[in-house]
Amino acid sequence: MHLALITAAPFCLALLLAMPQTRSQLGKTTQTLLSTALMAALFAWLVGSFPLLQAEQVIVQRLEWMPALGISLSFYLDGLSLIFGLIITGIGALIFFFAGYYFDDAAEYNRFMVWLAGFAGAMLALVLSGNLLMLFIAWELTSVTSFLLIGFSGEKQAAAREGAFKALFVTSGGALALIIGLVMLGGAAGQLITPEANSGFVAELDVILRLDNLHEHAWFPLFATLILLGCFTKSAQFPFHFWLPGAMSAPTPASAYLHSATMVKAGIYLVARLSPVMMQHELWTNGLLGVGLLTMLVGAIFAIKQADLKGLLAYATVSKLGAIMALLGLPGQAGLKAALVGIIAHALYKSALFMVAGTIDHAAHTRLISRLGGLRKELPGLFWVTVISALSMAGLPFLMGFVAKETLLDALLHYSAPWTVPVMLVALVSAAFTALAAYMLVGEVFLGQRPRGLRIHKPPRPIYYGPALLAFCSLVMGFLLDPLIIPLLRLAVTKSFSLPLFAGFNTVFWMSAGVLVAGALLYRVRKPLSGRIAFPLSGDAVYHEIINYIDWAGHVLLHFQSGYVRYYLVWILGSVSLMLVASGTLSTVTAGQTLLPQDLSMTATDLAKIFMLLLTIVAAALTVVLREHVKAAIAYGVIGYAIGVIFLINHAPDVALVQMLVETMATVLIIIMLGQIRPGARLKVIDSLWAGRHDYNFGFLRDLGISIVIGLAVFVFSLIALQNRPERQSIAKWHLENTVLVNSEDAVGAIVADFRGTDTLLEIAVFTTAALGVLTLLARGRIGGGGRLLPNKAPVGSLREKDTEAVEAIQDATSLSTPFTRLVTHFVLPIAILIGIAQILYGGSGPGDGFTAGVTIGLAVSLWYVVLGYDEARRQLPWFRPEQFVRLGLVIGIVNALLPLLLGKSFMGHVQFDKALGIYDLVASFGLHITSSLFFEIAIAITVMGGLGIIIEAIAYPQNRAAADEGLSAVNI
Amino acid sequence: MVEFMFALAIGILFGIGVFQLLRRDLIKAAIGFAILFSAINLFFVAAGAFEGEFPPYLSNVQAGRPTSDPLVQALILTAIVVSFGSFSLVLGIVNIISKRYDTVDSNDVTQLKH
Repeated sequence: MHLALITAAPFCLALLLAMPQTRSQLGKTTQTLLSTALMAALFAWLVGSFPLLQAEQVIVQRLEWMPALGISLSFYLDGLSLIFGLIITGIGALIFFFAGYYFDDAAEYNRFMVWLAGFAGAMLALVLSGNLLMLFIAWELTSVTSFLLIGFSGEKQAAAREGAFKALFVTSGGALALIIGLVMLGGAAGQLITPEANSGFVAELDVILRLDNLHEHAWFPLFATLILLGCFTKSAQFPFHFWLPGAMSAPTPASAYLHSATMVKAGIYLVARLSPVMMQHELWTNGLLGVGLLTMLVGAIFAIKQADLKGLLAYATVSKLGAIMALLGLPGQAGLKAALVGIIAHALYKSALFMVAGTIDHAAHTRLISRLGGLRKELPGLFWVTVISALSMAGLPFLMGFVAKETLLDALLHYSAPWTVPVMLVALVSAAFTALAAYMLVGEVFLGQRPRGLRIHKPPRPIYYGPALLAFCSLVMGFLLDPLIIPLLRLAVTKSFSLPLFAGFNTVFWMSAGVLVAGALLYRVRKPLSGRIAFPLSGDAVYHEIINYIDWAGHVLLHFQSGYVRYYLVWILGSVSLMLVASGTLSTVTAGQTLLPQDLSMTATDLAKIFMLLLTIVAAALTVVLREHVKAAIAYGVIGYAIGVIFLINHAPDVALVQMLVETMATVLIIIMLGQIRPGARLKVIDSLWAGRHDYNFGFLRDLGISIVIGLAVFVFSLIALQNRPERQSIAKWHLENTVLVNSEDAVGAIVADFRGTDTLLEIAVFTTAALGVLTLLARGRIGGGGRLLPNKAPVGSLREKDTEAVEAIQDATSLSTPFTRLVTHFVLPIAILIGIAQILYGGSGPGDGFTAGVTIGLAVSLWYVVLGYDEARRQLPWFRPEQFVRLGLVIGIVNALLPLLLGKSFMGHVQFDKALGIYDLVASFGLHITSSLFFEIAIAITVMGGLGIIIEAIAYPQNRAAADEGLSAVNI
Repeated sequence: MVEFMFALAIGILFGIGVFQLLRRDLIKAAIGFAILFSAINLFFVAAGAFEGEFPPYLSNVQAGRPTSDPLVQALILTAIVVSFGSFSLVLGIVNIISKRYDTVDSNDVTQLKH
């Protein structure tokens, strides 16, 4: 089976669980069994791949994606991935089962499991990934799912929100360092593999792991540090460890799974994965050893100070993670065996202990150690699970934890020269404190007197199954080293090694025994001891300082947020103009350019152009100077027409046609909209703007200054651009010469419908989106139930009936509805449709195309809305359904674009349907060519017509009714 | 001379559009927005790589007559339609603001919710 399927399976489970049908149809127990069975099946598959892996050592599967960028979907399975994969699926199955009984509420369970299953998929993708970038994506996915799981009850608890944010802040901050490190690593690997090509980037793990001189690369110190930073934050190493105790606000199954067994080991996984090519450098090994030992010590000592049961377990986890990091830092991978044994042993006992904590929380509704005690009588099964797991944590012979501790001390003792003495001191002190924490788990929680007021309700029996199985494994695994653990380790550890359960009464054994006794002695003085533990500097305090600074910066910046959007524009454009002037950009670009016209001769057409340009300038000035909005709108229309004429003079008839039609449409829209705005509101702004026009105040001068600078800059830049045109070396020549290939007479039409067809397709989609935006803004209730186009029949509030009448009188524009205009309206639409059809069919041989056809028809329809009003127009034009048109047009466009793919051509390729059908001459005699361009023009026309229809309907939609749709009161007049 | 005039018109139109956007009147700001679009379209048409005396039709090309640049025309064609779409969206926003806040003065609009 492909590894991609293994990785995808948990994601599919998450999707399945997220479906509403699953939630309503399957009960909690069914969901639990289903999820558990899936994880167990994945576990079984990974076990089954064992013989294959023994034969091949490494399985690499690759799906090429972007080979040029070194990105592919690669999977890499070797001994290391297998061990992690087994933990993820095996512990996962037990946790999934446990969660089914931890949650009482089925809906809560379902929500939890969706994220937990998603996390399992991300974590599997991380350890099975064969590509650094894919690994990074999975890495981030685990951070995100972890965030969601920590903040699972964030609605109710502030601590959950804070813990979730803290975890995300630290781990994704580290991930930023990691991605830079990984990209540099890939770049360095590319340079080493192909020294002649500078741009090579290699992200495939199997290629990178074959390198033997990576540590000699000049970038090594930098990317090694960055990768280590990423791994340290993820695996809660000192001083970043503080997020892990904060993460304990997650539901306990998540803590057991993510924050003990799997996710916090992602950093360890990556370190172990890259160690073969990185450990030749001392920076890597010393960094791991130093940080690991410090973490080990800090975690172990702080564990006994915790009031919360889960807090204690979290700090003990931090300590163990530090120990494993330190082992990975031993020279020559001497600690790899001990690290892997430690990972396995830790996964077994710590998950069990977390589940115990969850069960206690479930049974006693508290996790505070001081409030617990004497639970042995109430929960005898749980007591024995705890005893075995806690003693495995302490390292009692001959539990699995004992093996882990023996190998740990052995490796540190023999390979940490020249710092053997301090290293052993740290290790022994940490081990003693870990033993103390383990004793406290049993002694404080299960033995002694039961505090008053502690009520226990018996949890459901299946909740014990998972922890009991794990405790059983801790108990017997030590005796199954030869058949189970050693063959597994042989896949991951290249050197020959031995792993006995009992290595005789050597130094290490006496140390180990001494640690157990020391822990027991410390148990007697634990209360005064924990009171004395204090650390001058905590990562948590630094984190809070940083957050405070961010808050402070936010408050300072808030002063600049006036709330007036206009002033933001002033700031932006003002600083742009200041930069243009102050930086000397304007004077630099103008140097050596002749800005004033040298050649004053001009032809008659030039004169016409200049006249039209002067007209646009005057009209634009009028839009500012004219007080009334209607006049300004008409002045704007003049600009549009003048530009249309310029297009015409410049021999661009298609553009001129569209420009005139669209400007007409725009002017009509402004005027319709003006009718909908309360005159009083408009008069008020006119008055307030023009009242102070004689005393030129600061705001006016500021705006004027900014506009002049911006306008000047645009003038200079466009003049320079226009004077330095590439003349005849443009690709336009190619377009002109190849127009003949697409059976078109008009080169512009050929570019729009063929050469740049994909742009056009996207562009009509953008236009449709804008139209739908207008619809949602203005006429939310216009579409009745079931998506059918029905006028909204909701009664308008009768309270302000008089006001609404007045408003409707404005927007219905009844003054326009004379018999003559009605007659014109009725005539115009069929004519417009005919013109539109003609423009589509013969657009190839003259001006006009899909755009003009769509705008022409849309304009005729808008006339109906202006003359007859919204309701009348809707009633008389029942076939005009803009939403359907848009849908149809886009579907035709997309199908037409995809069709050439079936015929072996490219997307949007040109297909001559008439030639294919053998009717070329027949239709050509009518001046027609049936090609894919024709269908595309039809699609454009229908979409543009529909989009215009949506806009015009939305803007003409009676305002009071829109207000009623939204439950707003009618507007005051 | 024509290029100078084109650049002048583009600059002035752009400046006027910016000025309208900076003022308080939202309706005029919408119009200013549309003037910005016009200025850009004007630039496109002026920036054609070459100017001809005939429309860019195949018959003109085959007859060897100098035609205008078809590429900028195709660009403007799509630009006009898209800018019209955005302009109507702006109009819609002004409309909804006038409805919710009962004003077209941007100084009266200080909150997203009313």
